Amino acid sequence: MALIDLKGIYTAYEGGDKAVIKNLSLHVDQGEYVVIGGPNSAGKTTLLESMNGLVKITHGSASVCGLDVSRSADEVRKRVGYVIQNFYFDPFTPFTVEQVVMMGRFGRLGLLKQPSKQDYEAADRAIRRVGIEDLVHKTIGTLSGGQQQKTMIAHNLAKEPEVMMLDEPFSNLDFHAREYLQGVFKDLVRDGIPTLIVAHAFDGLPDIPIHLVVMNSGTITYDMNCTAGEVEDIIRKECKVNGRCSSR
Amino acid sequence: MLEPLIPNNVVCHALEAMIFVSIACSILGVIISRMALSSIGFTMSHAAFAGAAIGMFVGGNAQAAAIAFSMGVAALIGPISDKAKMAADATLGVLFAMSMAVAVFLISYMEYMGRGLSASALLFGDVISLYREEIYALAAVCGLSIIFVLAFYKEISAIMFNMKIAEAAGIRVKLVYYILLFIIALSVALSLNIVGGLLIFVLLVTPASIASQFCFNVKSMFVVAPVVALLVSIFGVWAGFEFTLPVAPLVALLLTAVFALSVMLSFKRRINTKIH
Repeated sequence: MALIDLKGIYTAYEGGDKAVIKNLSLHVDQGEYVVIGGPNSAGKTTLLESMNGLVKITHGSASVCGLDVSRSADEVRKRVGYVIQNFYFDPFTPFTVEQVVMMGRFGRLGLLKQPSKQDYEAADRAIRRVGIEDLVHKTIGTLSGGQQQKTMIAHNLAKEPEVMMLDEPFSNLDFHAREYLQGVFKDLVRDGIPTLIVAHAFDGLPDIPIHLVVMNSGTITYDMNCTAGEVEDIIRKECKVNGRCSSR
Repeated sequence: MLEPLIPNNVVCHALEAMIFVSIACSILGVIISRMALSSIGFTMSHAAFAGAAIGMFVGGNAQAAAIAFSMGVAALIGPISDKAKMAADATLGVLFAMSMAVAVFLISYMEYMGRGLSASALLFGDVISLYREEIYALAAVCGLSIIFVLAFYKEISAIMFNMKIAEAAGIRVKLVYYILLFIIALSVALSLNIVGGLLIFVLLVTPASIASQFCFNVKSMFVVAPVVALLVSIFGVWAGFEFTLPVAPLVALLLTAVFALSVMLSFKRRINTKIH
C-alpha cells in the first residue's frame, strides 16, 4: 500500500526566482527503507518538508498516509515523524528529555486534551527504544549533540508515526550510535513503517533492500531498489553523470 | 476585593490594579521571553499608546481605542511575517516604529492645533485615579491569562521549546500563537494607564528573566515569575504611598534591582570546578 504518493510536484519558496522541487514524482510503500542522497542544495530537505506540508506545494498532487498534503497538512504532521536537521538548544533550555519526548504525542492528542496513561507509555517505549533511559531527567540543553539527536528521534517515535522521515539523523553520532539507530530504523521498517532518511554518510546501513532516491537540482535522477553496499557507488555515479558531486 | 483590609480606596485600587497587572504580564512574559519575542512587549505597548492617542484625537474613549489598535497590530504580526518572509522580531520592529510614529504625529498635531494632550499618563501610568470598572477589566484579563496557560499548557510548552519542532509534531502552532498575541494586546492596552506604555515592558520581561535564573523547568517559571512580580508590586505600592513616590516607575526599578541580584546569585550559572 502506498503511504507516500507524489505526482509531478513543484515546490517554491516565496521570493525565490525558481522552483526548488521540479516535476518530482515518488511512490513509497509500507515497510520501505528509503535513502535519499545527492549533493548539497539538491532539494532533499525541501522534499521532506513538502511531504510534511511545511513547505507549500505549488503544482502536482501529494498524498501522505492517504491524505492530501495541501489540504490536510496539520493531520499529515500528526501522523508523520519528522526529525529536522540542525537544531540547537541552549544550556538553559528548561525542558527535560522526558518532557521533550512526551511533546511528540501532543499533536496527535489535539487541543485541550491532557496526556493519558497510554501517552506516557508510548513516550516511555520511545525512550527505551532509542536507549536514553539514563538521560530522562536531564535538561536537553546540557546534553551532547548526539544525545540531543537521539532525544529528537525518541520525540518522533513517541508519536507512533505511520511514516518516519529523518533529515541527516547521523550527523552528530559516533559509529556505535549510528549502528544502534540503524537497528532501530530496521525495526520500524519490519513493523511496516516506511522510513525515509536523508544522509551524506552511508556506513552501517542495514542489510535490507534499500529504496534509493538520488536527487539533483530539485529532481530525482535515480529511483530504484539496491543493496546497502551499492548505495554510495550509485550516488557517486549519479552525481558525476549530472555534473555535481556531494561535499563528501 | 481588598477593601476590608485597606480602608483607603486609592491605595486599595492601586494595589489591586498592580496585583492583576503584574500577574497577567509576568505569566505572558514567561512565554514571550522563552520564545525570544520580548519585543512583543514594547510593540504592543506602543500600539496601545498610539491607539489611545487616536482615541483622544477623535474625542472618543482612549482605552477602547487602545484595545482596538493593539488588537489590530496583533492581528497584523502573523500575516506580515508570513507574507514578507520576515522574522517575527523584524515585523515587530516595523509595527513598533509605525505605532510610535502615529502616536507622536497625533500628539504633536494636537499641540500644534492648540488641543493640548498630556501624554505623560499614557507613557508613565497613573495608579491614583482608577475606576472600579478598570480593576474588574484587569481582573478579567488576569484570569484570561491564567486560563490560557492552563488550557493550552502542553501546546505552549512545545512552542516555547521550539516552534518548528512543535509545528512538525502536528501542534496547531499558529492558533495558539495568535491567541497569545491577542491576550498580550488586551493585557497591555488595559494596563496602559496604570503602568504606562514605557514601563509595561518591564513587567512583561523582567519577572520571567528573574525566574529563568533559578528555574530548571517551565512549570516552576510560571509560578516563580508571577510570585516575584506580585511581591515586588505589593512592596512597590506600599513604598510608593508611604514615601510619596511614583508607584509604577518604582516597581520597575525594584524589579530591575531584583533581576541584577538574581543574576549575581543564580546557581544555574555556577560552574562545577570539583575534580572528584
